[in-house]
Amino acid sequence: MSTVPHSAQTAQAIDDPPLFGADLSFHDVTELVSHHTEKKTPTAWFGAFALANAGLLLLVAMIAYLFWNGTGVWGLNNPVGWGYAIVNFVFWVGIGHAGTLISAILFLFRQPWRTAINRSAEAMTIFAVMCALIFPTIHVGRVWVIYWTLPIPNQMEMWPQFKSPLLWDVFAVSVYFMVSATFWYVGMVPDLASLRDRARSLWRRRVLGVLSMGWSGANRHWRNYEKAYLLLAALATPLVLSVHSVVSFDFAVSIVPGWHTTIFPPYFVAGAIFSGFAMVVTLLVISRKVYGLENIITVNHLEKMNIIILLTGTIVGFAYITEFFIAWYSGVPYEQYAFLNRAFGPYAWAYWIMMSCNLLFPQFFWFKKLRRSIPFMFAVSITTNIGMWFERFVITVTSLHRDYLPSSWDYYSPTAVDILTFVGTFGLFFTLFLLFLRFAPMVAMAEVKYVMPQADPHFYEGHGDGRAGADEPEVAPSVSPTS
Amino acid sequence: MIELPVLPTMPSEDAAPRSRFWRSVQQLQGDPAYSAFTGSELLPEAQGPPSETSRRQFLQIMGASMALAGLTACRKPVEAIMPFAQKPEEMIPGVPMQYATGMEFRGTLRPLVVESTDGRPTKIEGNPEHPESNGSTGVFEQASLLALYDPDRSRDVLLDGVASDWNAFVRFAAERHAERATGRLAVLVRASSSMTRLALRSELEAAWPGLRWVEYDAVADEARRAYGMGRRNAVRPRFHFDRARVILSLDGDFLDSTDPDHLHNTRGFARSRAVDETGEMSRLYVAESVYTVTGGAADHRLAVRRSDLPAFAAAIARRLGVGAGGAASAWTDHPWVVAVADDLAQAGPRGLVVAGDDLAAQQLAFAMNLALGATGTTVDVLDTGVAEFRLDQAAELETLIADMLRGEVDTLLLVDVNPVYDLPSSYGFREAMARVPDTVHAGLHLDETAVAARWHVPLTHYLEAWSDGRAYGGTMSVVQPLIAPLYEAAHSAIEILGLLASGIDRSGYDLVRRTWGPLIGPDFETSWRRVIHDGFLPGTAHPAVAPGTETVDPLQSALEALAEGGAPAAAATPGLEVVFHADSRLFDGSFANNAWLQELPDAVSKVVWDNVALMSPATARSLDVRVELVNGKHHADRVQIATPDGSVDLPVWILPGLADDSVHVTLGYGREITSRRARRGGNLFDLDHRTDVYGQGAVATGIGVSVAPIRPRSMATVVSESVSITRSGGDYLVASTQDHGALPEDSAEAMNRGLYRQATLEEYRANPGFVSDSEPEPIREDWADYPALWQNAHPADQPATKDNPYSPYQWGMVIDLNACTGCNACLVACQAENNIQVVGKDQVSRGREMHWIRLDRYFVGDGAEGSPEMVVQPVPCMHCENAPCESVCPVAATVHSPDGTNQMIYNRCIGTRYCANNCPYKVRRFNYYNWTGTLPESLHMASNPNVTVRSRGVMEKCSYCIQRVREANRRSNLENRPIRDGEVVTACQQACPAGAIVFGDLADPESRVAAGRRNPRRYELLAELSVKPRTSYLGRIRNPNPRLEHQA
Repeated sequence: MSTVPHSAQTAQAIDDPPLFGADLSFHDVTELVSHHTEKKTPTAWFGAFALANAGLLLLVAMIAYLFWNGTGVWGLNNPVGWGYAIVNFVFWVGIGHAGTLISAILFLFRQPWRTAINRSAEAMTIFAVMCALIFPTIHVGRVWVIYWTLPIPNQMEMWPQFKSPLLWDVFAVSVYFMVSATFWYVGMVPDLASLRDRARSLWRRRVLGVLSMGWSGANRHWRNYEKAYLLLAALATPLVLSVHSVVSFDFAVSIVPGWHTTIFPPYFVAGAIFSGFAMVVTLLVISRKVYGLENIITVNHLEKMNIIILLTGTIVGFAYITEFFIAWYSGVPYEQYAFLNRAFGPYAWAYWIMMSCNLLFPQFFWFKKLRRSIPFMFAVSITTNIGMWFERFVITVTSLHRDYLPSSWDYYSPTAVDILTFVGTFGLFFTLFLLFLRFAPMVAMAEVKYVMPQADPHFYEGHGDGRAGADEPEVAPSVSPTS
Repeated sequence: MIELPVLPTMPSEDAAPRSRFWRSVQQLQGDPAYSAFTGSELLPEAQGPPSETSRRQFLQIMGASMALAGLTACRKPVEAIMPFAQKPEEMIPGVPMQYATGMEFRGTLRPLVVESTDGRPTKIEGNPEHPESNGSTGVFEQASLLALYDPDRSRDVLLDGVASDWNAFVRFAAERHAERATGRLAVLVRASSSMTRLALRSELEAAWPGLRWVEYDAVADEARRAYGMGRRNAVRPRFHFDRARVILSLDGDFLDSTDPDHLHNTRGFARSRAVDETGEMSRLYVAESVYTVTGGAADHRLAVRRSDLPAFAAAIARRLGVGAGGAASAWTDHPWVVAVADDLAQAGPRGLVVAGDDLAAQQLAFAMNLALGATGTTVDVLDTGVAEFRLDQAAELETLIADMLRGEVDTLLLVDVNPVYDLPSSYGFREAMARVPDTVHAGLHLDETAVAARWHVPLTHYLEAWSDGRAYGGTMSVVQPLIAPLYEAAHSAIEILGLLASGIDRSGYDLVRRTWGPLIGPDFETSWRRVIHDGFLPGTAHPAVAPGTETVDPLQSALEALAEGGAPAAAATPGLEVVFHADSRLFDGSFANNAWLQELPDAVSKVVWDNVALMSPATARSLDVRVELVNGKHHADRVQIATPDGSVDLPVWILPGLADDSVHVTLGYGREITSRRARRGGNLFDLDHRTDVYGQGAVATGIGVSVAPIRPRSMATVVSESVSITRSGGDYLVASTQDHGALPEDSAEAMNRGLYRQATLEEYRANPGFVSDSEPEPIREDWADYPALWQNAHPADQPATKDNPYSPYQWGMVIDLNACTGCNACLVACQAENNIQVVGKDQVSRGREMHWIRLDRYFVGDGAEGSPEMVVQPVPCMHCENAPCESVCPVAATVHSPDGTNQMIYNRCIGTRYCANNCPYKVRRFNYYNWTGTLPESLHMASNPNVTVRSRGVMEKCSYCIQRVREANRRSNLENRPIRDGEVVTACQQACPAGAIVFGDLADPESRVAAGRRNPRRYELLAELSVKPRTSYLGRIRNPNPRLEHQA
């Protein structure tokens, strides 16, 4: 086995609580996770899937309606050229931050607790980015020529304009999507092989056989796999930071008061992690219960995520206050007006929803009891996502609706099409997520096993500390890292 | 079996009458044996089909059906299209030609030059050669182009509502003409300056002994009446604002397009506002009940109720020493009155008093001008040379209607008038029409009167028929057509009058030439060609009446009139008043079916597609009505306005600066025009029927409410007795192009931001560069100050620039806020030039109007409750050198041209709208729907072929009329010379009667625009953003009276 996950354990203090509940064996883990993809599909799944599919159909219908009639079906107007579409885009991209952050950055930082949640968080990431990618595509006026944003050599000798942040977006988000998907898939190969080996039917075996790329668990496979995983993690890490930085450039590079701010890249990244973790908590609180994975995804895992939510929520709140300070400090009247208008203008309601959801509510996580309370964290994860959606709404709409010339000021309100399209993307998201829960190993079994006590070669000798330790038998005499 | 009893069974040959041809003697004799032999070739039992239909019939029907079915598929177009086998001389396909013509408006001609592209008129401009036009136009001339192609124009002669034809009408007219000795003909027409019509009138009078000729306009010209009292000939006052130093307007909106002499007034006024060598400029006082563009241009403005206006005017007159007879009133010692009167007295002959729709105020103004000695200097009384036929049209109409009701009119001819709609309803014109056996209506539309008339004859548009007329100052013009009538049955007013005068169908061309014969002397053909080429006959201006020849003392008659009308000089009569105005867009309703005008924002209220009851905030409070701004949309309460004559239900609109207890309504709305176009159907999925303004029948039908029911029979413009106004409902959506936020705060914010800069004359004298006071010291950037990463990194040295070097021309624009009055002419001109689409009320209320130039209106000071000043700022695209829109477009659809304009490449645009978001001036407009896809076919002809028609999903904006720039480029290249200064004129600049917009080459230091850029009053909008706009502004100078200023 590789040294990487093992040496990760050296950071663990002795009296940390165990990562996983009960006394799970490797086989228990495999069973717990795999049997959900192998058993007969539960009726409840079909119910949920039908609901999600209805949402997906709604999305398709709304997009068809939009394409047929034009962007006018949305509530946009002359000062407010971007509304729900861009808000939703940034919202979904933000959600799509948690998965890769958990898999890649926490992997590099040797956080073993990530193993229980990274697979589903990554799936969430990919599906969220898919939802996000819909919006910049459909929000343009002439969707049939959207490919002009791509640098495709053509007889017109027309090339995209590389100074535009929208073009950077095209690259940033698509690269992020591709790398995240690859990372997710590569990480899944050993688990797919486990499923393949357990498969009873011929076709299942064949399909999984192709997907697991001939994985046999050989030492060489493990070595290559872990190298690849490490490299992909290193590749994905900067992307986690870059994608939302680039998304924030859409705003920061412009000259609209309220958008034209250098604080945006870190503030957007923090906000994205904040919302992404909240979404992971929302999903896992439900799925660990439904799929009986409480022993693998324990309250400890959730608590750690809540700490990150607390941290990033505080960063985001700090950024809100900093913006106000800078607006005052800059002496630019337009900037000052934009921020006062946010807090006290016609969209004050949105601003205060944002402030309370993002800055206030997560502060309750300072209390250990609350951050370990499942109902409480579920509520906060929901309010966080509401708050983060409103953050993007506040940034996008309140800045545009009143900018430089008061003669052009107007108010934006969404139409039913705006709202239903957004609802529809949840249909797409949950359709994909339910398919994932049904057909893919929702927990990274192999990685969980790395960090289980049994992974310690001396575990069965009875003098382990009950958890996996550093294992360097070839180099040094077997010594427990804690001894 | 199918039974097909369609064809009758063939008659047997013996039943047939004896035919000329016969086959045998037996047949000829009708021998039954022969019949039995020849009758059938089959045995009796095999004879005939089981049903009535024979095989042969069946095959016949089938064959015929097949043939007909096939024919429907291969119908050949019946329209004959013909190429120019012989090209008309001088005509080059694609190169527009220009023709001089003119448009009749309020009884005078506005001289025009109309551009014709491949035989269809596409753009209307003023005639720059004409002494009265100077090349500028008002909104009505510009918009009249759309009226030509109006899809709702009537197309057929109708008799009792059934399509007839012109020949039938000619026969009818000839019959009537034959009976003219006893026939009682009444003719109802608009006022007109046409000499041919005048001649035809004499002809009619000669031919028809019982002729009644009534001229009638829904909006009366009270100035003509006041100045013409007691004179034999009709006169009209002409004001020379450029010679005036102190001007007082008594509710006179002389700067609005609806004023008969608007172009001359605006030009003169703009000239008088320029600070001259001695450092002086004119001062304008406006006392008005409503807020007008003239009030916005004022140095001092006072809100005075319309019913108080005569007393107010009398108080000033008293101070000026006229009319000691006038009684003292509350106004007598009003500080405003004292200051204005003193100022006027000091100005003497360089003072000028003008008035509006109120006869008494007009008479008092005339009296004051006489007292000041202003007649001859600032005001000329022009003698039109036409004996005045009407001084009191209401009285004439009363008698006409009484006669009609008594059955004393046999034939009523209504030409281009619509009394069923625009006469006060209490006249009951429709009922009176029913008593007349033969009513003939000639008009552009199948309107309210057309429906009530027996005959309807479609009228030609002025661009389709020959006519003539005289400009306000009297210069004669021939109105020449640019296109054959679009609808065959259409005939011109003079043709219809000529037909009734002689019973013969004569062409308008012959009638006009006959009139002009004596006018232009011996060498007729040469002079005639000259006149139609130039568009006018020089030296035909009306002479001014010598000062001091007044036959009636205007003051005396004013005072008498006031005495008759109640307490003249009494203090303000308490209670509400309703004031009627001609609409600044639809006028009296004759422009109502014009979508450009329906969507033209009112200069002050910015309301479109509706008429509203305007009132001040205090009045609204006392009536307990509100206009609520919910989610950026205005939801207005409705009020029931009842006068002794009737009542109407109107939405409310609240404006600051209006006189309290004064409610203002406009004519022109609530039209019912019958359109033959099919309504656009729709379904849930396709929104075309909701976004197409032409989709629901005639444009004007159902827009707004007609105020005819509450207009008084006297046609006075104000009703102040027994007016009751009550809230009748709420939640009426009113669309406005501005004020989507709270009104006073927005304006205050705009002024704080230094968007509009102005100073008093004093301040300007002390500090001519006042506009820069609020700006930080500009950062002078020097390329050398910046570390260069590469050698030769200056943009000018980069390969991209070297391949495409800077043009020798660098276009720029300067807008003089001191000249601009906010009359909207530029906006409509831009719309006509650049194929800008209308989007309808619903879309405007969603903030999606498409105008490329907008007139930002702000109120200054005094809050909503007081009487704030109003300022107007035209905002087109600024063509920033450092354009924020360009760098954010992902597909490079908006780029800079070598000559320095910011260009929009429509077919590259994918519609991200990022450019619009990043435009600090918000001048970019997005095509949220396919506005052009639903246009009726005839309106496509109004499009300028040199400007791309934009489709759904692309951004658009002001292009500095790039098509005109390129045209000048081509012309100068062909002639191998540089473009001359003033050769390229943008559409807004060309229309502007004030000359407030100057466009030209900044690289030429001699150009007018470069001189404008050197003006110390010049500033850039949002200069601190460093976007380096090419459009800049010249700050406004106000000239307040220090005495009033201190009191304020």
